[in-house]
Parts: sequence; structure tokens; C-alpha cells
Amino acid sequence: MGAIQVPTDPRLFRLAEGDECRPSLLGSHAPESNLYFWPRRLRCPVTRSAVTDIDLSSEGVLYAWTFLYVPRMGNISFGDSGGYGVGQIDLPEGVRIQAPLLGTTDDWQIGSPMGLTTFPVGRDDDGNDLVTFRFEAVR
Amino acid sequence: MATRLAREVYVIGVGMHRFNNERLAAAAMADVAGMQALEDAGIGFPEVGALYNGYLGGGLTSGVGIAKEFGLTGIPVTHVENASATGSCAFGEAVHAVAGGRVDVAMALGFDDMNRMGGLGRSGGRRMGAEDVMLPAAFFAMWATRRMHDVGTTAETFAAIAAKNWNHARANSLAQRRADHEVTIDEVLGSTMISYPHTSMMACAAGGGAAAAIVATREVAERLSSGRPLVRVAASQQRSETYTDGHVFLGAVIGPAQMTRDTAGDAYEQAGVGPDDLDLVQVHDAFPVEELVYYELLGICGDGEGDRLVAEGATRLGGRIPFSTDGGLTARGHPGGPTGLAQIHETTLQLRHEAGARQVQRARTGLCHMAGAGSVCVVHILQRTEG
Repeated sequence: MGAIQVPTDPRLFRLAEGDECRPSLLGSHAPESNLYFWPRRLRCPVTRSAVTDIDLSSEGVLYAWTFLYVPRMGNISFGDSGGYGVGQIDLPEGVRIQAPLLGTTDDWQIGSPMGLTTFPVGRDDDGNDLVTFRFEAVR
Repeated sequence: MATRLAREVYVIGVGMHRFNNERLAAAAMADVAGMQALEDAGIGFPEVGALYNGYLGGGLTSGVGIAKEFGLTGIPVTHVENASATGSCAFGEAVHAVAGGRVDVAMALGFDDMNRMGGLGRSGGRRMGAEDVMLPAAFFAMWATRRMHDVGTTAETFAAIAAKNWNHARANSLAQRRADHEVTIDEVLGSTMISYPHTSMMACAAGGGAAAAIVATREVAERLSSGRPLVRVAASQQRSETYTDGHVFLGAVIGPAQMTRDTAGDAYEQAGVGPDDLDLVQVHDAFPVEELVYYELLGICGDGEGDRLVAEGATRLGGRIPFSTDGGLTARGHPGGPTGLAQIHETTLQLRHEAGARQVQRARTGLCHMAGAGSVCVVHILQRTEG
């Protein structure tokens, strides 16, 4: 059995639970303005009204992307791939997320469906696998 | 509603240490820029009523330490930091100190060396999180790919903007990047790809440098002018973000593009001018897609028409509305703290008609725009008046 997976920042996302196939980003909903936000807010930044905690959709569409020709992201090496992709993904709630992308430039088309997934970035002091999130093309 | 400044404010002196990648001591460069500005103004430091130091790197007390070299006059010395817009904000604080009646003469001094700083996207020893991937190069590259999708902008257009700015810097002895030949579009496209579609020659030149500006009341400016034309600060505006569709809260680097349109609108209203009245413009051209988008957000042309301006050469020196006349962030350089003050330095020289080989003919009104990480936008409009 592998090590336990731990989110790098549990305020931003949670891992898939039960029969869920994808992790979830942790957002806020403001009923008064009917606006959604990520990351979570203390109050609606438009109306200053109360917000409630929600899990955002785990699939959206690609708004923009680039491939960054930098072989490292912090402590993570991308080895022979020469870099990594980054994208902006629009979720159905009207929230735009920036995140790394899984795949190659051939996989990313503006307007195409994308799904949330995780990838390992190291281990914490207790030996657990640290994971952060990224998006992948939905086939 | 943007109201006129309570008191008229004039730029009476500017100074600048050449931007460079030579790891010179920031304090020494700051001293050069500050003393040049005092000499240009024709005053001694005891006449300065307040000093605003703009820097990102260095220690907490760098600003007051450098001020001690100018003289122990007891004036308030304040550290201003607002990412890339730091120098612009320091200048704005000096302007408002004079406009509001706090002092009659104020100095803004920016100095930095980006090579010695940590920055966006550098995670250091802490845990890796998704926000760490948003290097400015990636953020603005996504502006570029989306624009290519929406408007049909080509990589050649981005390269043309960068080549223009490299070539503007050839006439600027204070620029960090000075090519010994006319830079071509093909040369820019052929340089190292850093974040598609941006190549290394499209990316701003990070390095070191210093710049300073001294502002004063009309009474002081007229006393010191000696017949030299005066440069009035017609507008000084700063904004943070408002909510926009597709708002990005985490990793948006400089916030929504709409901030530029809103801040420029405030500045035009305060100055009583419009985009058609401008003779030259300096912008936060950290990557060429920014300059392209700012043509539109500043109202120089309609939405989606910026590419045509590039094709027509309208934003080159000699064109209808030259942008980044000193080489911009692309080639003059972007050390951080002094960058916005370099824009004030350039615009002041242009409005005095002292810009030499890169002089914009009959320049009377110039706009300076800077964006800063987090969510900062600053716009100043300067105007020439006869002394």
C-alpha cells in the first residue's frame, strides 16, 4: 500500500472521496449576488454579503494556455519534457482557474473540455505524498 | 469622479543611472540618480520637503540609509513598494504630497536590482503549490494565446513590437539592451522560446538601475525654470481591481486588464484630455502582448485594432503615436523600483524637447502607464507648458 496523499494546500482543493473520480476545488458562493469564487472568500467582494462554502465543478473548458520552457517548477523537475503547460480553465460556475496542464501542446485547444486531476510534488515531514492539482484534456 | 489636483504640480528635475545587468550596488546607483535630479532641478537636498523611496529588494531600511547620503535634513522619508509599479507609486506619492499642501518640493527615488530578488513563481524552500507556476512569462503568454484565438494576432506582430522597442533603445544611452544593429522581426522570433509564443527577446530586460524625479509647486517651478519649458503633472491616478467576468483571484499577476482602461479614464478626466491629445506613451511592456492590448485599453484605437497600428508603424518613433520611446521595459529595462520613474524621466525629457535622437517632434503631452503584481495600475499624464 502506498503512502497517504496530502494536498499541498488544503484550503484550495480536496482529494477525490468515495466514488468520485476527480478532486474538487474549494470555493465560495454568494447567494445575494449569485457569484462563485475561488479560492474561498470571507464575504462576497462585490456585494459584501455572506458566502457559503461549496465544492466547485471538477470539469470546465480551456480559456487560454501556454507552454513554459522552464525545466523546473519550484522543486519539481520536468526532465526531458523541457517544461510544462499552464492554462486558464473556465468552470460552469463562472470561475476562472489558473493551473498547470497535463499533456503536450497537441492536447490543448481553446474551448475544449478539461478535468481536474492531481500530481505528486514531494513528501511532507511525515512521509506522506504531497500532491497539487492540474487539469487534463477530457477525451 | 477624478477631480483636478488641489495645487498644480510640476516636474522640476529628473535623474537616472543607466539600467544594466552588471550587479552594481543599488545604493550607488540611487545616489547618482538622486544627485542628478537635484542638479537638474537646480536645488540642494535641503529644499526637498519629503522623499519617497521606491524599491522591492534590499533591506527594510535601504531607503532611509540612502537618504542619509543626501543630507540629514530631518524630512519625512517613506518606503513605497507596489511591485513593478513601485516607482510610479513613489512618484504619485510625491505628486500628492505637493498637490495636497504637505510640502512644496518632493522627491521620488527608485532603485533596485532584480537579479538579487526572489519573485513571482520562485517558491524557495516552501511547499510547492499550484500558484507557484504563474510566472509573469506564463501569465502574459496566456494573454497572447487568447488574443491569437480571438483576434488572429500573429507571433510576427508580437515580434514587431519587441523589435521596435529594441530599436528605440539604440538611441538611449541609459538603456540596458542596446543592439549594435537594426533588430529584425526574424531575429526576435528566432531567439529562445521561453513561454509560447513569447521568446527571450520579447521578454523585458530584468536588471539593476535607479531613477529619480523631483516635483514642486508652480511657484517653485517658475522660480527655477530659467526659461526652460515647464512639465506639469496633469493627472496622477492609481487603481486596484474591480470584479470582472472570468475574474482570477489566485495567480493573476497584475489583475484584470480592465484596470488599465479604468485608470486611464480617470487620468484623462483629471487632465481634461483624451487619447487623441497624446503625443507619446510609455507602458508596462513586460511582454509585447501587453503593449498591443494597451493600445486599445488606453483608447489609442478601438478594440481589436491594435494589430493594425503595428502594421502601420503608428507606434514607432516618427509614427502617429510613439510608444515606449526609450526602449520600454523590453530594452531600456525593468529593474523594479526605478522602472516607473524611468518613464517619468523619459517623458520629461521628451516634453522639454531634450530627448536627442529619439525626440518626438512637437511633443506636448505624454502618458505613463505601469501595472504592478498583486493588482496595481498607475497612470500619469504630463504636459509641457512654457515657463
